[in-house]
Amino acid sequence: MLEDDIAKTLVSEQQIQRRIAELGQQISADYSDRIPFIVAVLKGAYVFLADLCRHLRMPHEVHFMAISSYGGRAIQSSGVVRILMDLPASPEGRHVLVVEDIVDSGRTLDYILRNLQTRNPASVRACTLLSKPTRREIPVPLDYVGFEIPDEFVVGYGLDFDEHYRNLPFIGVLKPELYE
Amino acid sequence: MPDLADRFSSDDIERVLIDAATIERRVDEMARQVSADFAGVDQLMVVGVLKGAFIFMADLCRRLTIRHHVDFIALSSYGRGATTSGVVRMMMDLKTNIEGSHVLIVEDIVDSGYTLDYLLRNLSTRNPASLRSCVLLSKPERRQVEVRIDYLGFEIPDVWVVGYGLDYADTYRTLPYIAELKARIYQQRA
Repeated sequence: MLEDDIAKTLVSEQQIQRRIAELGQQISADYSDRIPFIVAVLKGAYVFLADLCRHLRMPHEVHFMAISSYGGRAIQSSGVVRILMDLPASPEGRHVLVVEDIVDSGRTLDYILRNLQTRNPASVRACTLLSKPTRREIPVPLDYVGFEIPDEFVVGYGLDFDEHYRNLPFIGVLKPELYE
Repeated sequence: MPDLADRFSSDDIERVLIDAATIERRVDEMARQVSADFAGVDQLMVVGVLKGAFIFMADLCRRLTIRHHVDFIALSSYGRGATTSGVVRMMMDLKTNIEGSHVLIVEDIVDSGYTLDYLLRNLSTRNPASLRSCVLLSKPERRQVEVRIDYLGFEIPDVWVVGYGLDYADTYRTLPYIAELKARIYQQRA
């Protein structure tokens, strides 16, 4: 069982679902008179997105972007990533809401926000399920945060380790012997 | 899930075809079946077809009790409308090589069958160990080409459905249920 690889549950399924309902309410109130253009970054954000969007009370569009680091190396300090699949629609003049699973150093999200800003949206905001503030290397504005978490090796609810554990319905801390 | 009937003017929706609880129950059954069938398999790759399948995929995979990887494929048609060959443009191919892997394609809906048929043929050229399809909705009346569906959620009549991943002009996609759209909605903009 996948669960056997988990040292502890950091955020339970129930906590996640409760928090997402709250975020959904908040976003629905903030965008009550607008149709947000939601941008999700694959693959990690797809589970969060699937649940969050079902809680939104106004019409909205969902678009995906896929990115990767250049040359298989770690993401550089500039945060510049290669866009594998760009948005299928233009965000020009739209109210963009970027949905992320986790913000760590902040460099990738910072780059994505700057990249989207160059496309002349009416507004850009960011929503993340998890944030690790102690890991931050660059300040990045987060408008909606699910949970602030300590700097631990987390998996589940979209987050993977070597492509495993994405499907766990909760956020868990991986046993150190599995990645050390 | 909350009742989101207030999301759109209820004038848009003719009726709820499959409610959230019924979907959830059926997805649960499908996940149990997939988990049992692939129990001995050490490398299952679940492939979601974007955008339509992402909600079904998120719910299905969370209920799988077996280890698996997920990957996505994004398609768009060449030019206007679907062609009878089913050949579509791959906007984003799989990240991983599926050679030797057991592959499960996850689709929101099978209509004419052309797209799924093309995807199955395309992915089988990559020499997977096995290739199966898992589909939430099927409209058998619309079928133009025979296509194998290994796991099917619901057979539905030939009406315009939205919700749970299915859209009309990028709207209604994230309704937590499957609904029939009012004809005037898609006729007025057609």
